[in-house]
Amino acid sequence: MQESLERDLIDTVNPITASWNFLSDTYHRLGSPREFYTISRYTTPIFGILFLTLSLIGTYFGLFVAPADYQQGDSFRILFVHVPVAWMSMFIYIVMATAGAIGLIWRIKMAFVVTICSAPIGAAFTALALLTGSIWGKPIWGTYWVWDARLTSELILLFLYFGIMAVYYAFEERKVAEKATALLSVVGVVIIPIIHYSVEWWSSLHQGATVFAEGGPKMPAEMLLPLAFMAVGFMFFYGYALFLSMQNRVLENEHKSRWVREMVIRQGKNNELVRFFLHGRLRLRGLDLLGFNIIGASRICDFS
Amino acid sequence: MFRNTSSLIQPLVFFIIIALLFPFSLPAEGELLQRIGGGVIWVSAVLATMLSLESMFHSDYQDGTLEQMLIHPRSLPLAMLGKALAHWTATGLLLTLFSPLLCVTFNIPSEQIWVLFAGPLLGTPSLSLIGATGAALTVTLRRGGVLIAIVILPLYIPILIFGAGMLTQTAQGLEVASQLYALAAILALSITLAPFAIAGALRVTIN
Repeated sequence: MQESLERDLIDTVNPITASWNFLSDTYHRLGSPREFYTISRYTTPIFGILFLTLSLIGTYFGLFVAPADYQQGDSFRILFVHVPVAWMSMFIYIVMATAGAIGLIWRIKMAFVVTICSAPIGAAFTALALLTGSIWGKPIWGTYWVWDARLTSELILLFLYFGIMAVYYAFEERKVAEKATALLSVVGVVIIPIIHYSVEWWSSLHQGATVFAEGGPKMPAEMLLPLAFMAVGFMFFYGYALFLSMQNRVLENEHKSRWVREMVIRQGKNNELVRFFLHGRLRLRGLDLLGFNIIGASRICDFS
Repeated sequence: MFRNTSSLIQPLVFFIIIALLFPFSLPAEGELLQRIGGGVIWVSAVLATMLSLESMFHSDYQDGTLEQMLIHPRSLPLAMLGKALAHWTATGLLLTLFSPLLCVTFNIPSEQIWVLFAGPLLGTPSLSLIGATGAALTVTLRRGGVLIAIVILPLYIPILIFGAGMLTQTAQGLEVASQLYALAAILALSITLAPFAIAGALRVTIN
């Protein structure tokens, strides 16, 4: 009786404990640059494939299946890009500031890497949100730009991203630069609620909350579904771009450590070194254009 | 700061000159100046505050006072609150006292002048407090001035919007209470949070 009760208890607790252990183990492994590098080499392509699949499905349904808006006609379809991109611009900031706070409080190296690598991606999403918004604004509002609360605060967010990137580059010592960047991103977090509530606080040309409105979304399912696909797809794109950029930075930061050297030598033996660099460069060129990414691989070349 | 009178006068003179550049560069129509006057005074106040930020921690950093403050058992955020408020009395308060005078040169009607007194009075302490965070972040850098501007100006924009918005509201005969409440809320937040951010920034940048 006693035994079976204990067994029952273990049986019910086990899956939870096991999954908790797995999560906490993964979390701690991600805290180490080397482990992160190994894990992310497998997860990054998955993120990329998920992004492509979801966003292609979302694009198809958004362009061909969703009905035209009764007021805005077909021009509303830019919503499927504009809204997820604008969400991401704020979401990335929150991730960046949270990682910065984690890094400052618990002194975790990888958290700073998340902060620094998120900034250019977030800035790109913010710029894209402003761009798609103004393209949408022309036929509907009759103007590309108005000095309105939502637009202005989104523009402030863009400048904040630029400031955070500028701080990182201003310091010569990397550890100080990382901490200063993290601190500024935490300070700047006050701007997020201002952007989020700007449409409610001030009378604005920009439409109010439609999806996360009180009493459920004010949108038919045929429009909501592609939007959800696009939003989740972009989330995976962020994961993909972030991990690529982080891998790069980890290699650069750790280029003197043993595991990086050993890896390069190992890959050189298999005659994959050249392929690795070419491939790495090719993959990273897109992010490189954003001006934040320094090719870690080129540093590795110096000693090999 | 009070020992050196030039650091007291420089921001003030800068403030007045910047504000007076606008009448020179724009068509001298009374009505136009009247409409843009409030915004011009606010922008000048923001620029003058920013200019004085670079020297805020500079001499303390040079002679090692700042390091002593960092290792002193006394609460660092509290000391930084005092530092920021001292900075405000030397810049923001002076600018506030002089802004009604500038209103006269912009032909702003006398019944609206109190708006350009009350607004800066509530807004400029936040400018000093938020600005001190930027100054603390960049104190160790040789050319921190431009970086302070890039870092701090985005955070100043909300204050600027509420402050300058008050004048357009009164010009249309509307209430300005909501803007004053917003400025007061920003001030309450920055008094309570900024000292910790300043202290954190100093601990990060100074080893």
